[in-house]
Amino acid sequence: MKHDGAVLPVDKANVDTDQIIPAHHLTGVETTGLGKHLFTGMSGGTALLEAYPGASIVVARENFGCGSSREHAAWALLDRGFRAVIAPSFARIFLENAYNNGVAPIVVEAAEIDALLASKRLTIDLDAETVTREDGTVLRFTLDPLRKAFLLSGGYMSFMASRVEAVRSWLAARNATPVGS
Amino acid sequence: MPRSLFEKIWDAHVVEELPGGNALVFVDRVVAHEITTPQGALDIERNYGDKLFDPARIVALNDHVSPAKDSETAIQAKVLRDWAKRHGIVLYDIGQNGICHVVAPERGYVEPGITLACGDSHTCTNGAFGAFALGIGTTAQAGAMLAGCLVLQRPKVMKVTVEGRLAHGATAKDLALFVIATLGFKGGTGYVLEYDGSTIDSLSMDERMTLCNMAIEAGATTGLCPPDETTFSYLRGRQNQPTGDEFEAKVSAWRALRADPGAVYDREVTLDVSGLRPLVSWGTNPGEVVPVDGTVPADADPASLAYMGLEAGTPLRSLAIDQAFIGSCTNSRLSDLHAAAEVLRGRTVAVPTIVTPGSQAVRRAAEREGLHDVFQDAGALWTHSSCGPCLGMSMGVLAPGSRCVSSSNRNFPGRMGAGGRVHLASPAVVAASAVLGRIAAPEELAAVAVGGAS
Repeated sequence: MKHDGAVLPVDKANVDTDQIIPAHHLTGVETTGLGKHLFTGMSGGTALLEAYPGASIVVARENFGCGSSREHAAWALLDRGFRAVIAPSFARIFLENAYNNGVAPIVVEAAEIDALLASKRLTIDLDAETVTREDGTVLRFTLDPLRKAFLLSGGYMSFMASRVEAVRSWLAARNATPVGS
Repeated sequence: MPRSLFEKIWDAHVVEELPGGNALVFVDRVVAHEITTPQGALDIERNYGDKLFDPARIVALNDHVSPAKDSETAIQAKVLRDWAKRHGIVLYDIGQNGICHVVAPERGYVEPGITLACGDSHTCTNGAFGAFALGIGTTAQAGAMLAGCLVLQRPKVMKVTVEGRLAHGATAKDLALFVIATLGFKGGTGYVLEYDGSTIDSLSMDERMTLCNMAIEAGATTGLCPPDETTFSYLRGRQNQPTGDEFEAKVSAWRALRADPGAVYDREVTLDVSGLRPLVSWGTNPGEVVPVDGTVPADADPASLAYMGLEAGTPLRSLAIDQAFIGSCTNSRLSDLHAAAEVLRGRTVAVPTIVTPGSQAVRRAAEREGLHDVFQDAGALWTHSSCGPCLGMSMGVLAPGSRCVSSSNRNFPGRMGAGGRVHLASPAVVAASAVLGRIAAPEELAAVAVGGAS
């Protein structure tokens, strides 16, 4: 799957989930419609989005998505049309949430970020695991092979559904159960 | 092959090895709250026949905004309530609820050796019991509700040995902040922090929960304390635990949950806390801390300084505050309230001060001891239990530029309200700061006559 999109340069490290979507917007029971709240907790976030209309790839510095477990961060990115976040590192829970929602979390070397922040457009090939800049420079990245499948097919829950009977068999065989069950 | 405590728990829960170093890991307990559960519960209802793996393994709570503040949060609570009722899931609701990471342990749902997951990053709190407890997203929680498992990359394990007696007013909160400052705000990413050492052994369960609560603030998957007599005593006779021989048989099994001698870790860190003093955060992440009598560092991040309205070299104790908050899943248990009450007894707060017990059970226990009178005599607000002002979602939201000293866990920009400035500290330091109207250490109050701050 290839994605050619415009860059939203978020030239910050430690963009936490309170900046991505503040807690007072977590009051719904659905996963849709959260894009309007994206980056409203980040200083200059709304202006940044307005300055880069149609952007679909976030480029940011290290430790993107740290803090809360709120999957709303991934839902808000997706709802606003973002398909990938490129950063030198991600917080664990955000990384899992991004994979599970079709927002590709792409890890590249920190030294590459300046050039990516300066790029207007990027082409991401998820199958080949490459990012291509407008000048033709190609960067390679590695996705978790299992989660890549979830990313491409949205299949986390269907995968889990497919494991239910195997899990029940495993549980039946577990001889000493530490939990009070 | 000698194993770490974490490896023993992990190995006992791997259902299936999966590609790419992933594993299907069984989840003994799912804790479900109203902010992150409804979306997954509705997905299962709509797309997976409304079938849950085992409702008896789920504990549900309305905790973040409870009672509801508006129609939207009322709907969240109702969805959770209806879902729990439909599936026979135990639900802690208005009147019996509180913060999930306070209620689940106090009700006996957390014990050594189990795996526990919740759509809340501070689920690591429960690692205090020697459980592998981690925060996850809504989809992962839904997967655990549907199939009893998580898909996880096996985390690396960092042994964090802590030696030395906590003194000089330093508390478990200061230890938690010290760990983050030492490892760095993201220094624990990819690791489980397996605690060890004489200091950890000496901590109460409340203190271990405070310590493990903030493992996520170093980016760690979770924290983990080896279970010992302190753990067993906490659980003995507790609700939802068996009694008599059945309980003692569990204790016998739990005694094996220790790291083997010679266990190999991915990283080892040793901390000496004998000189540790109370810490206060000055910046916008929990690793940006200095001793309460310290100054903003010379090499401070300019973005943090700008947000916090500070300059390098400024003494923390010179900072006037607008609000004080004692509560949150970090510091809202009975012992935390004792620490705050000891400072506030007979004194008067100089700024709006909110005291939010972590659960209704904590609240009632505190009231039986008269702590509610101590707080209210001091002029503080004594609230019902909830997540409260910590995440700026309901009550106690800060105005832009307002400065709050807080016993909570996050000082991110906007965390307690857009433009609000949060300084993290222990309950005693928050209480002392509330009395003096500026960031303050409890010992400074020796000069303040009991009976008034003026």
